[in-house]
Amino acid sequence: MDSLLDHAPCGFITLSANGDILEINQTLLSILGCRQDDLSGRPVSTLLTVPSQVFYQFYFVPLLKREKRVEEMHLSLQSPSGEEIPVIINAVQSEKDGKATTDCIFFPIRKRSEYENELLTAKKEAESALIALHKAHTELDMAMGNLKDQQRELVKLNRQNQRFKQETEKELELARKIQEISLTDPIDHPTIQIESFYKASRQLSGDIYGFYQIDDHRYGVILLDVMGHGISSALITMSLHSLFQRLIPGGARPEKVLNELDSHLHSLFQKEEEARHYCTAIYLLIDTKRKKIEYINAGHPAALLQSPTTGEQHELASTNIPIGMFEGAAYIPKTISYIEGDRLLLYTDGVTDFLGCNHLSPLLQENHSIPIGRLKQIIIQSLEDNQQPSQKTDDQCFILVDLR
Amino acid sequence: MDQDIIVRNNVKVFGNGDKAMMFAPGFGCDQTVWKTVAEAFKDDYRVVLFDYVGSGNSDLQAYDFIRYNTLEGYAQDVLDVCAALDLEQAVFVGHSVSSMIGMIASLRQPQYFSTLVMVGPSPCYLNDPPEYLGGFEREQLQGLLELMEKNYIGWATMFAATVLNNSSRPALKEELEERFCSTDPLIARQFAEATFFSDNRKDLPRVTVPTLILQCSDDIIAPVSAGEYLHQHLSKSVFKQMEATGHCPHMSHPEETIQLIRQYLNETAVGVLA
Repeated sequence: MDSLLDHAPCGFITLSANGDILEINQTLLSILGCRQDDLSGRPVSTLLTVPSQVFYQFYFVPLLKREKRVEEMHLSLQSPSGEEIPVIINAVQSEKDGKATTDCIFFPIRKRSEYENELLTAKKEAESALIALHKAHTELDMAMGNLKDQQRELVKLNRQNQRFKQETEKELELARKIQEISLTDPIDHPTIQIESFYKASRQLSGDIYGFYQIDDHRYGVILLDVMGHGISSALITMSLHSLFQRLIPGGARPEKVLNELDSHLHSLFQKEEEARHYCTAIYLLIDTKRKKIEYINAGHPAALLQSPTTGEQHELASTNIPIGMFEGAAYIPKTISYIEGDRLLLYTDGVTDFLGCNHLSPLLQENHSIPIGRLKQIIIQSLEDNQQPSQKTDDQCFILVDLR
Repeated sequence: MDQDIIVRNNVKVFGNGDKAMMFAPGFGCDQTVWKTVAEAFKDDYRVVLFDYVGSGNSDLQAYDFIRYNTLEGYAQDVLDVCAALDLEQAVFVGHSVSSMIGMIASLRQPQYFSTLVMVGPSPCYLNDPPEYLGGFEREQLQGLLELMEKNYIGWATMFAATVLNNSSRPALKEELEERFCSTDPLIARQFAEATFFSDNRKDLPRVTVPTLILQCSDDIIAPVSAGEYLHQHLSKSVFKQMEATGHCPHMSHPEETIQLIRQYLNETAVGVLA
């Protein structure tokens, strides 16, 4: 080997057709830290690390066989001391004296290799980040898709709900009208005048009343408040209504009226204990000839009897527990007398919830001389004035009776 | 004939025999590596060459990262080609990992194969001491994967440069069009992982097809210990130690490869007749 090649600034090696080392230059020997004698005749793969030996077999040998040359192949040498030296190899095969030999140059790339390693690491990180991004994107797309589906479903449900709500409102409105139709009209007779006010908390009320002329001098006035409000309470009021509107005009005794209503509630909930509703009720049988009132108050707020002359007030307080509570309760009416000009106020607790018990009584007292039509307006006004917007309203109902 | 498979796997058929002889390239190679050896059998056999999907002139669009994650996917390629050509009792010659791919295919559809010829085979590349020596530690195989990565850019430019610099040798350009090795780094890496981290030892006792094992000398990739292990566990196997060194005797020592295959086929044929 000429001196120029021997000391060239790169490793140089000549291989036999089998890949055995024929010649090796000084530069490569010093890179490896070997002597010429150690390497001559040995396979070039012994200079390589194990992975490089495999790569050599898989790529270098076939490529050289086919192309007669290899360019820029990255392999690693392993020195006898165990150091790994990354190199770039170029190789050309040629015929010398009828035998194929391969000349290779080895170019150590320690620094470049480190740089490449860093690049590869960065590349891998970028790739993983990209994969993560793709994954996140896919998941996001899926989530968005799901969200859109759900939104569509929600819109659909909302529309159904809206339709259902409208239908329900229409139905409830109709039911409210039916409930109101069942209420009796005001009475204005020479001996008695009866006015009433009725307001449901929602479309339907748990309150119901009725006043009837029984004969030429007797009148029956009833006011009921079914526990709760809304549809279930309203249904019960209608059921009770159909009962008392037969009993009262027929002149049934007060105890009979209450007993019947009580049994009716018990029979309603005999099998459905959970649906059980009880009900407060007050029934007045007014005899205008004898100027007497027989009454039963089953757990209802006390009715007020206002005297026009003395300004005295008398309470028609509770005589019994509410109906529908305990089966077989005995109802015994009380009797009071009245004089001409006395005035009665019956109301449900929806009224006193706003005004308080102590508010109604002075209102009645202060306005004892004005017609009950006006008094009714004053009470309604008072109710509206005292209503808090945030307050949950109960059904409201009151009856005014002018005894003449 | 399923034309889709023929195109997908770049299947080439030539030769004059009644019996088919199928050559499967090893890791990282395509069918051109069999050129010399396959030529030698074309007078007696119907020679079948193909590329696995992802290498050579196969249809890269057909590459499926899930299917080709294990050797089973490559074995399916072999079976697809057998089905497309309606092969029966073919001689299957597989280099390197294709020996195992052919073996897996034979376990699934034995009727396609009369003989397996394994050139430089290994049932498992990793050492599993004390009873098995595959030749490699895991980190050495990882090192190989890293080298593949580092050479990828080199590969691409090397081929381009070769074509440009050899305009005086137009034949070379044509030859290059049949890509020698898969150039897609992702596919190459997946094939490498499927190849080098596979362990097919437990399948060996189930193999029914007679097998010729061609063991190279000084083969770092498939050492003698791997070939001998195969011979011990394949019941109908013949083991031949080759003079050829390295891992690619079909390229480096085609004459010896041809001679040993022919000798085995003649002997087994005589055996069948007798």
